[in-house]
Amino acid sequence: MTRRVKGIVGGVILVILALYPWLFGIYFTNVIVTCAIFALFAVSYNLLLGYTGLFSFGHAMFFGAGGYATALALTHIEGCPLLVALLFGFLGAVALALLLSPIVARLAHSAFAMLHLAFSMLLYTLALKLRGITGGEDGIGGFPIPPFRIPGVVSVDMTDPLNFYYFAMAVLCGSLWVAWFLTKTPFGQIIVSVRDNDKRVDYMGFKVPQTKAIIYTLSCGFAGIAGSIYAMFQNLISAAALGIAQSFAPIVMTMVGGVISFFGPIWGAVIFAVIEELTTRYTERVQLVEGLILIIVILFFPGGFIHIVAIVKGKLLGFTRGKGAGLIKGKWFGK
Amino acid sequence: MDATTAMYVAQGIHGLAYGMVLFLVASGLTLIFGMMGILNVAHTAFFMLSAYFCYQVVAWTGSFWLALLLAPIATAIVGILVERFLLRRIHAFGLLFELTLTIGVMFVIMEAVKVFWGTENLPLPVPSLLEGLVSIGGMDYPIYRLFIIGLSLVILGFLAFILYKTRMGMVVRAAVSDADMVNALGINVPRLFMFVFGVGTWLAGLAGVAIAPILTVFPGLADQMGMDAFIVVIVGGFGSLGGALMVAIISGLLSSYGVQFVSQLAPVLMFIFMAVVLAIKPTGFFGEREG
Repeated sequence: MTRRVKGIVGGVILVILALYPWLFGIYFTNVIVTCAIFALFAVSYNLLLGYTGLFSFGHAMFFGAGGYATALALTHIEGCPLLVALLFGFLGAVALALLLSPIVARLAHSAFAMLHLAFSMLLYTLALKLRGITGGEDGIGGFPIPPFRIPGVVSVDMTDPLNFYYFAMAVLCGSLWVAWFLTKTPFGQIIVSVRDNDKRVDYMGFKVPQTKAIIYTLSCGFAGIAGSIYAMFQNLISAAALGIAQSFAPIVMTMVGGVISFFGPIWGAVIFAVIEELTTRYTERVQLVEGLILIIVILFFPGGFIHIVAIVKGKLLGFTRGKGAGLIKGKWFGK
Repeated sequence: MDATTAMYVAQGIHGLAYGMVLFLVASGLTLIFGMMGILNVAHTAFFMLSAYFCYQVVAWTGSFWLALLLAPIATAIVGILVERFLLRRIHAFGLLFELTLTIGVMFVIMEAVKVFWGTENLPLPVPSLLEGLVSIGGMDYPIYRLFIIGLSLVILGFLAFILYKTRMGMVVRAAVSDADMVNALGINVPRLFMFVFGVGTWLAGLAGVAIAPILTVFPGLADQMGMDAFIVVIVGGFGSLGGALMVAIISGLLSSYGVQFVSQLAPVLMFIFMAVVLAIKPTGFFGEREG
């Protein structure tokens, strides 16, 4: 696609998102906010998995850290402004990532994955046990959502779902754009090289553990933003946001959407939102459908939805090399 | 023996029994990982599936012993089918895809169980032969827990014998250290993988049947056991049976004594233990390579 076509597509998407609440009503507005939250969460995860080749089993702890930081700030700080609360969410996740990075940046593969599992379970258990701070099973809820205020200019009530929709989408799409921009920078190239051949990157004079630590921290920061918006959106954050099921969500979305592309996880989040919307009408066993779809996608289209699109495009337009199968041949993880 | 010592010993037996069941689950996991490099996320789902199979066999025939024989075999068959028709097909794509595929398998098994058996707790009686307490040296021990310890020791001995004294065990050990080389030597490694996956799920199935009368059968069974089993494998070192045994017992004792002394902290003790070990030695106690 040329730059111009891309610009037009982006513009159309923005217009659709802006008109969305009027077109589809408040219920589907909430669906799309949830979907966007998970899209950012999955993209932040893919910065680690797809770009840096780090497989984590505990990304939810940063999501949860962001959520809890925001919730605690809004509960305990009198008159905490909206953006400061969001900043707290971001910094909460970043602080946790900085704390862990000296240990985890030296690791790769299973050890990295499992250490994250251990830490996230540690935080999950702590969130359940430290009732005084986290509210135990009930979590923290009912905190005030402050208005979006620029002193002397504007003050927008955020308890109105419509206003919150615009705020949340602006933050989430903005973060997605920043993450996308990051992958296009020279630094974005280095992290891909770390994934493909970290020894060689080391010989070339780049510092591998430090590079990993930086992308790790940034990725966790994005997850924190997603968690922060999630906490404000639900007006509730509970230990479930830190749990293992929450950690599986971005993995599954990334794999179904496509680990090979920046936009794969976003597609994954959309696909899972649609599946959930459709299947909950017929059955309680949503996970059964999700599991089957995951298995089918991995068996037949390891590159995920992006891979399917590439194949279809290739068939229709006669391209022989799509953005799919070729990339999958490389070993992404492990040996 | 006074009351305090009796309590310590009783807690020790509980811990040991749990540790041994944990070892059964973890040994399958570590065998599969050591050989195929796959972190089988679905392993504890197999464990739970077997508990349900056991419930079903007992419901049909009323015999726990038949269930102990059949349920793990049925589980192993499911495991072999998963390996043969799912994992083998994507082996060439690398570990990430195999790992995420097992996540999908886990989702499906966990939900399928709810479809077939519902979500409530299904009680399973302890077989009448193993009910009650036995008195040794003036102390009462629950027979069933001793039975679990004994069963696990038998399995452990059996595994050790196969692995270290037979030709097949030699091939398995060789494949654990270098599967490609073993393949090059003319041994059918894909079939070996299938066999090991079957044995691994069989071990998980055995543990599932052993634990079912204690914990009852319910969909959360996998979560309860799963995390501990993973920790045991990681801390013990990927692919190391001895490491798995040691850490499983430590883990069992840690959880039973932990509840007694620092009940508030008990759930986190294992995670702290794991974080400390991994931060110092990323390969775990007896792991030689980073997985």
